[in-house]
Amino acid sequence: MDMYIRVKRSKTTYFIKCKPSDKVLDIKEKLQELIDQPANDQRLVLPGTREVLEDSKTLAEQKVENDAVVALTFRKDDNEFEEVNIVRPNDFYQSRDGDSANW
Amino acid sequence: MKKEDTVKLISAEGFEFVIDKEAAMVSQTIHNMLTSPGSFAESQHGEVTFPEISTTILEKICQYFYWHLQFASGKETEFPIEPELTLELMMAANYLHT
Repeated sequence: MDMYIRVKRSKTTYFIKCKPSDKVLDIKEKLQELIDQPANDQRLVLPGTREVLEDSKTLAEQKVENDAVVALTFRKDDNEFEEVNIVRPNDFYQSRDGDSANW
Repeated sequence: MKKEDTVKLISAEGFEFVIDKEAAMVSQTIHNMLTSPGSFAESQHGEVTFPEISTTILEKICQYFYWHLQFASGKETEFPIEPELTLELMMAANYLHT
């Protein structure tokens, strides 16, 4: 196994095994096996820069490295794609720090 | 990658992590859950819920599973652990026999 990426949408994370030479379309086809959305209705976006990954390019070309987080969005009924939506858990360490302030 | 070859781990807050069975089997506890005949509902649905494990820790554990597979195939990198996660991660690892 060369590498994996973490594909996130809403509260779900898919760990996908892949290679730097895999094309983005290859990743979408793997995802298609797990979710009921054809590759054509998926869009993969880098959450930091909002850069949309292109099907024909490889992961390496688009600087997607091991353990990278990639956002998944689906095509909506009006043919547009959803906004990036990754839900994070409430940062329980911050809340804990808040508690300790009361001691 | 087939759906049957994956397993969904669900954290205390209801966040879901879909990972390869091969990776999940790094945990002896999950291995037992998924392979014991008939006795665990988990093995039929391919879903395991961990009400005691928070989302942050469960994600770290999944990352560890994959790191373990990479390490086993000869890649020598360190597994990074943030100091503030250490205690909770150890408790979860103990529970999961990881």
